[in-house]
Amino acid sequence: MPRDTAYQMTEPEGQTDDALLARYAQGDAAAARALLDRLAPRVLRLARRLLQDQAEAEDVTQEAMLRLWQIAPDWQAGGAKPSTWLHRVTVNLATDRLRRRRGVALDAIEEPDDPTPGVVDAMIDGDRKRALDEALALLPDRQRVAVVLRHLEGMTNPDIAATMGIGVEAVESLTARAKRRLAQLLAGRREELGFET
Amino acid sequence: MNQGRKNQSPDVLAEIELDSLFQQAQEDAPTPLPEPFQARLLADALSAQPGAAPQRVWSRLVGWLGEFGGVPGVAGVAAAGVAGVWIGFSGPGLTGDLVTEFWQGAATVSPTVSSWVEDGPLVVAGSDLLSLMNDEAE
Repeated sequence: MPRDTAYQMTEPEGQTDDALLARYAQGDAAAARALLDRLAPRVLRLARRLLQDQAEAEDVTQEAMLRLWQIAPDWQAGGAKPSTWLHRVTVNLATDRLRRRRGVALDAIEEPDDPTPGVVDAMIDGDRKRALDEALALLPDRQRVAVVLRHLEGMTNPDIAATMGIGVEAVESLTARAKRRLAQLLAGRREELGFET
Repeated sequence: MNQGRKNQSPDVLAEIELDSLFQQAQEDAPTPLPEPFQARLLADALSAQPGAAPQRVWSRLVGWLGEFGGVPGVAGVAAAGVAGVWIGFSGPGLTGDLVTEFWQGAATVSPTVSSWVEDGPLVVAGSDLLSLMNDEAE
């Protein structure tokens, strides 16, 4: 397919993701870079939050982005947004990895007991975002996935249930337990978080 | 900052406090990608781009050949292959004939095994070669 050099002279700023993806499919390298800058950091953050492993998160991000590039020529503009599609692919790839990591289904993982005393004290200093990420890392996988998808990614409970392969009630239970755990884990950092002690 | 945590235990964060953390985490811009990782993703994007496939195949081929010594290595292997085919088709027969064919006059300077043994090649001016080697070793 011939490359349209006129596209390469157009600034990608202000264009929709759909438009950029179409330009990418027509051979515009600048569109690829613009889409990467827009979409990949969020994908990496989501993967890192779910997997709690930088190398695995990068692998998942790379795979998700590659799938986006591969589907670009067939992309139907006006349907799902590329960011939404990418989000779904990332969640699926990450949850698949979590399942493989444990060697069992994600919903078969036994939840550990209450958090170990002193764990919070061992956390390194940081800002609120960092504190939340560190507390998320201490959650069991299922709880972390549920709370990240519900409260950080804004997915609905039915969508989360479908993604995780469990029922809606199980999602609600996991989310509630995760929030209780986070509230416990972060209580010791109240001052650092800027809350009244 | 009071986040409405009246009647809450000091051992847990109030729900409103936790929700404010979630809200902030949602709104925060993600950190930029590490540069090497970004370069890797961009390379993926460009190689997967429509119209870039032939380049990708060629670069893979070059990379694969590089493991075998690159172009000079492949040229050597190709030359040896051509020579082998030529030898096979020309049917030179015994290797002695082959040497003669390649090196005209070789038969006159290269003695046969029997004549070589008869001449006593291991004897050098009254001292055999093995004893010379022993001296060298000592």
